[in-house]
Amino acid sequence: MPQDRTVRNALLTVAGLALLAIVLYLVQEQGGTKLQQVFALFAIWGTAAVSLNLINGTTGILSLGHHGFMLLGGYTTALLILPELNRERIATSARSLMNEFTLSLSVENWASKLGLEALAAPEALWLRFIVAMFIGGLVAAAFGLLVGIPSLRLRGDYLAIVTFGFGEIIRLLASTDMLSSFTNGSLGYTGVPGLVGKSLWWTFGVLAITVFFMSRLKFSSYGRALQGIREDEVAAQAMGINLAYNKVLAFTLSAFFAGVAGGLYVSWLSSARLDSFLFFLTFYFLVAVSVGGTGSVTGTLMGTALVVFVLQYGDPLEQTYPLTTWVFAGGVLLALAALGTFVYRGTLRLRPRLNAAVYLLAALALLTVIVSYVGPSFDWLQGDFRAFGLRRIFLAVLLIVIMVFRPSGVLGRAEFSWAWLLRERRDEPTDEERAQDDWMHKAAAPVGGDEPRAAAHPLLELGAKDEDNGAGGEIDARSNRAGRTQSDEGRET
Amino acid sequence: MQTERRRRLTLSRLAPWLIGAAVIVAIMARIVFLVTQRDYNPSFFAGAMLQSLQLGSLYALIALGYTMVYGIIRLINFAHGEVFMVGAFISYYIFSRTPYAITWALMVAALSAFGLMYVVSLWRGRLTDPVVLGAGLLGFLSLTLTLSSSQLGWIAALLLSMLMTGVIGILLDRVAYRPLRGAPRISLLITAIAMSFFLQNAGVLAFTGNVTAYRPETSWTQTMQLQFAGGTIYASRVVILVLLLTIVLVVILNLFVTRTRLGKAMRASAQDPEVAQMMGIDVNRVIATTFLLGSMLAAAAGVLWGLSYGTLSQPAVMGLLPGIKAFAAAVVGGIGSLPGAVIGGLLLGFMENFFTALIPGVTQYRDTFAFALLILVLLVRPSGIVGEDLSEKV
Repeated sequence: MPQDRTVRNALLTVAGLALLAIVLYLVQEQGGTKLQQVFALFAIWGTAAVSLNLINGTTGILSLGHHGFMLLGGYTTALLILPELNRERIATSARSLMNEFTLSLSVENWASKLGLEALAAPEALWLRFIVAMFIGGLVAAAFGLLVGIPSLRLRGDYLAIVTFGFGEIIRLLASTDMLSSFTNGSLGYTGVPGLVGKSLWWTFGVLAITVFFMSRLKFSSYGRALQGIREDEVAAQAMGINLAYNKVLAFTLSAFFAGVAGGLYVSWLSSARLDSFLFFLTFYFLVAVSVGGTGSVTGTLMGTALVVFVLQYGDPLEQTYPLTTWVFAGGVLLALAALGTFVYRGTLRLRPRLNAAVYLLAALALLTVIVSYVGPSFDWLQGDFRAFGLRRIFLAVLLIVIMVFRPSGVLGRAEFSWAWLLRERRDEPTDEERAQDDWMHKAAAPVGGDEPRAAAHPLLELGAKDEDNGAGGEIDARSNRAGRTQSDEGRET
Repeated sequence: MQTERRRRLTLSRLAPWLIGAAVIVAIMARIVFLVTQRDYNPSFFAGAMLQSLQLGSLYALIALGYTMVYGIIRLINFAHGEVFMVGAFISYYIFSRTPYAITWALMVAALSAFGLMYVVSLWRGRLTDPVVLGAGLLGFLSLTLTLSSSQLGWIAALLLSMLMTGVIGILLDRVAYRPLRGAPRISLLITAIAMSFFLQNAGVLAFTGNVTAYRPETSWTQTMQLQFAGGTIYASRVVILVLLLTIVLVVILNLFVTRTRLGKAMRASAQDPEVAQMMGIDVNRVIATTFLLGSMLAAAAGVLWGLSYGTLSQPAVMGLLPGIKAFAAAVVGGIGSLPGAVIGGLLLGFMENFFTALIPGVTQYRDTFAFALLILVLLVRPSGIVGEDLSEKV
């Protein structure tokens, strides 16, 4: 890349960061409460999603236990930082499950016992918060170590289920006698100070540290090792990568940042309750990682922005509308589906472009729209309807669509770059590179009949498979071999 | 010439038997202790046994769907628990509207009989086959009868819910899983998770957001009293229904898989989809059939669940725990194996229900226990009790 572009990109980056800082300043000082909350939530979930990306994207292990890590970090932070007033309230409450000892666990107490008056002072709350969040992260990391150990024996979907099981076990145990003296059962704690979780500087500061750490890690020797494991475990092992150490390391680091994000999250919610840490949290992060780009830190942030936007500003979707509006919207969706199929067939050069599916969808769309207009005059479609949960359905559908049409996410593994944004062409290949390409094409040609096709564009492959339905199916030879030997595992997205 | 050497008895081969024996001895000792020291009546344990069998049968029915799908496309169908939930709610909305007016009953019965004929024609090949026509006629008559009677409404609900949920299963495969046939298994699993999330929320949208009482007008849900060893067992009659129906469905499934061409195709595809396809088997049709059968069994389990416990919890959470426990059962039994799923289901139901009867105070750990068992089995013996070794090797 020429020198001037490097300079330009650096300048653009600095300008972008400065712009972000100005936006944050404006939101913090001028913006409404809702806007501040949304920004803070983006930073908190972004931290968690980026940490999930280390396992799911960089290491290629599907982990579904992130809500468990966040729960641990969140509860630890909340317990250590809970103000004295709220502790007394719990202690005097009849339904409290906590005891003397667990109620005395707080950074403030520890500081005054150690004689660190500066730390115990009321105005040093932020400092205590940092200590508490750090300890919360460590607790989560210790659990991450535990969860990482199964990854030495298991792979793929079984491992995913095991991580899911661990995440759920944490949540279930937290309400049993074993842990309820720490967690106060299903009541949880209320009154967690919002000082850190509601402040944009703190949340974005943590996010910035996480992003910096993760992107440095990705391109460090550790990150390369993790990516090697993702590509091919056997080859990575043959190259001298210690699989056990690296996998457990990935889990531990990821759990640490998830725990810190959990600490921020309870502060944002200003309460720690078990039903804030259900599986849907992990699902949202999974959507963020998968949509943005599995393995891409910036992609994950983009995905998080989308998820947070849909969940926080999607409430118009869930309001009460007349039934005719809903039917009309369904018709519009069907029409879009018809158009999408048409365009899709066009880009894949499938003929005829207007196949039966397009006609069927278009006819259905037309019918639905007509019904939505004609219906009321026949006493149909009276009344209103409220589509509760439509935001979540939208996210689920989005994830399915992404998995079907672009399994690696929008950015894939690539990071955001100015060249990508500005759609710059790469430099022309040199003569030497051209010669190498020619040689490769010649060398590859005779093998073509025997080996399965080299992976073309995923869309092209789908299209090709769509065409040979008559031959009895779409089971791809490549995938079946993978299904038996498992050598393809993790070579995904 | 080599003489056949006796396989050496090593500790690792003996371990499962030893553990099993130890557990049984411990349970027996505990029962004896409770009966002699704390004055428990043996009928208490017999009652707990019945309940365990009931719960185990339900898990077995759901686990069969997991195991069949995993056997063929190596997918942990995360959405299967939600299919179970959908089946239960569909049946609720059918029986709660019985008795139908005769015209409606005829129409619904005709439509469903046609659906039934289609399902049977998967097995017999043609729509005009006498068996298909007979099944259609039988289905039409019985559905007309059951739909127009409030006492038998739940039977209509069972049959219709099985049919409709089966179709939903096929749609699930067609929409979400089939486009990903060539994709890595992790992408498939993520899609399954998304589908599960989708069905949870679509369930809230389509059915209700609340806990629903599930009480059809039938004498099957009444309590019965049995004399046993000097005590009385109070059990719901539905236990008998659950056991009977489970046995019938499992036998039918077994006959289907072992005796029909499509069942043979199914076994072939489970062994090796690629070669099966070369032999002229339409693997996609086989997979669709698998989803159909699995979802039908899950719907039956949903109806029986409702009858057994009298309530359906919120659609958003109802499928999750039974689903994951049934998956644990499938893994315990050996995923990919049909008898394994039944054994695993019964075993899990037994452990969950009987242990809580044996040891007071562990009820709160029931769900934790299922997850812990799942993790433990996956880690220690991923092939399960009777399964082939499907653990991931290079």
